[in-house]
Amino acid sequence: MIAAEGLAKRFGDVQAVRDVSFGAPDGRITALLGPNGAGKTTTLRIISTLVVPTHGRALVDGHDVSADPLAVRARIGMLSDARGLYARLTARENIAYYGRLRGLGEAALEASIARLADLLDMKALLDRRTDGFSQGERMKVAIARTLVHDPANVILDEPGNGLDVMTTRNLREVIRALRDAGKCVLFSSHVMQEVSALCDEIVIVAHGAVAAHGTAEELLAASGRASLEDAFVHYSGGAAPQ
Amino acid sequence: MRRAWRTVFWKELRDAMRDRRTAIMVLVASILTGPVTLVLVANFVSGLEEKAAILKVRMRGQENAPALVNFLQRNDVEIENAPADYEERIRAGKLDAVIVVPDDFQEHWLAGDGARVEIVFDDSRTDSGPATRQAERLLRAFNQESGMLRMIARGVSPDLGTPVKVEHVSTATPRQKGAFLLFLIPMFALLSPLLGGMTIAIDSTAGERERGSLEPLLANPVGAGEIVLGKWLAAWTFASGVALLTLTGFALAASLYAQQKLAALMTFGAPELARFFAMVVPFAAMTSALQMLICTYGRSYREAQTYVSYLATAVSFVPVVVIFSGLKDAAWELAVPVLGQQAVLSRVVRGDAFTLADWAVPTAVALAIACACVVLVARLLREERIVFGRS
Repeated sequence: MIAAEGLAKRFGDVQAVRDVSFGAPDGRITALLGPNGAGKTTTLRIISTLVVPTHGRALVDGHDVSADPLAVRARIGMLSDARGLYARLTARENIAYYGRLRGLGEAALEASIARLADLLDMKALLDRRTDGFSQGERMKVAIARTLVHDPANVILDEPGNGLDVMTTRNLREVIRALRDAGKCVLFSSHVMQEVSALCDEIVIVAHGAVAAHGTAEELLAASGRASLEDAFVHYSGGAAPQ
Repeated sequence: MRRAWRTVFWKELRDAMRDRRTAIMVLVASILTGPVTLVLVANFVSGLEEKAAILKVRMRGQENAPALVNFLQRNDVEIENAPADYEERIRAGKLDAVIVVPDDFQEHWLAGDGARVEIVFDDSRTDSGPATRQAERLLRAFNQESGMLRMIARGVSPDLGTPVKVEHVSTATPRQKGAFLLFLIPMFALLSPLLGGMTIAIDSTAGERERGSLEPLLANPVGAGEIVLGKWLAAWTFASGVALLTLTGFALAASLYAQQKLAALMTFGAPELARFFAMVVPFAAMTSALQMLICTYGRSYREAQTYVSYLATAVSFVPVVVIFSGLKDAAWELAVPVLGQQAVLSRVVRGDAFTLADWAVPTAVALAIACACVVLVARLLREERIVFGRS
């Protein structure tokens, strides 16, 4: 469970996030939807403890991100915008590195990698070095690395970026499977189709603040618009989604 | 649970070893440095000795001076007849110096009234200097001997002719004479950890940033300090390993030359090797930590490589500064990084005393700097501009 309360972040002269508050419950898929530069990535970085907020606080399963960052990190799996792999290591070694850093024992690690290889359909990739991997294959390794410790909260920053149709479909199935397993899934996107196809709850972020929050139906009803896209344009103040 | 720094340490070592081309290049370079350098030095030294050993003069008109020829032969000097066109050849630089004996030499010699010989040489050619001086020296010796014999024949003490005797007494032991060649070993000892630590230092800092793997790595529930500790220990291990290989190469090569002239110039056996290890391993801790610190500012591998090469240049400048500034061993030197190591290592090569302070002071300074760098890198990795500032 993730809760953001009045988050704000300033980088020098740039006010990246002004006022972001929302809750993302367990067993639900929550999307941060907003145009580029709306403050989605910064919000996710604050929640994953990599950026310290100027104001406000964020809680992950009740742990404050500023007060107890290590406990928060142990409870989340963050697939960030940076998805670099170690090219000279195999997929298995890449995943295992993160598993060990998160304190998994060797037996648990092996079981976890087997489970993820199954879930992500990547058994054939496991023992190959990652330097020749395609975009989609890299993505699978990066997701497996994110989920290796079976975190209760999964954060995905623009997960659909640069993926082909098949990989995107795969990814959606994985995200649904995570929700069905009772995880709190929070992801950011600027792609309307991705959000409407997946989300239980939508948080529209514009200009560093939350403009609206609810299910797709609630947002349609509240905005009085016919489509989600129109509702989005309405809330984000004219900045059209792609 | 395994400590996280160990996980990082082993991952970095494995990753670096997988980079076959770099690993092999570094290994070969470090193993070959010692033997190749010593072979070159040995050839240089024995070349010098050969040149000095073969005394040779070129003469024109030897038949005119049987006494001189006899003297030269008694002194194992090889005499070569100069060709008729010797003057042109000297001008062309094909001959160094020729002793020319005029036809009337024997006549004046017997009469004792100023027999004359000429040394013909080209003053504008510096490389003719040694041959000219050799000819001069031999003629002076001949003069002295003949004069002495004539004085004795007349019942006069030859000492009257040389009221002052000049003797050369050099305080340098044979080993110290070779030390100018052997400043090379300390220099290689100080540069090899830079070579060895470079790959991991760059790859684990700027490399992580360039690859986009730093941000996910830092999102793990492990303190930045522990991650940096693991990386630094891996870089230190590589740096020390390469330094040890390089120095062992020197020691092995030196043992091959143990019977030859080079051995008189220096000793680089097991005791010296152990002292070098004791100095260089803590030094490697400092260089790899420094490399990591400056590489953390690099946004890309290439940028970091540039920074690292500045560091290597700075380190290799120190021996040069020492040679040209005529710095004498002083206590404060020990506390200056690189300078201290350089001073102590050259003392070891010279065979001078090696005290506990010689080891402890530079080592303490190096380890303190290493720790400071590790703390700074860990702090930098908490800074948003470093974590997210990608190229």
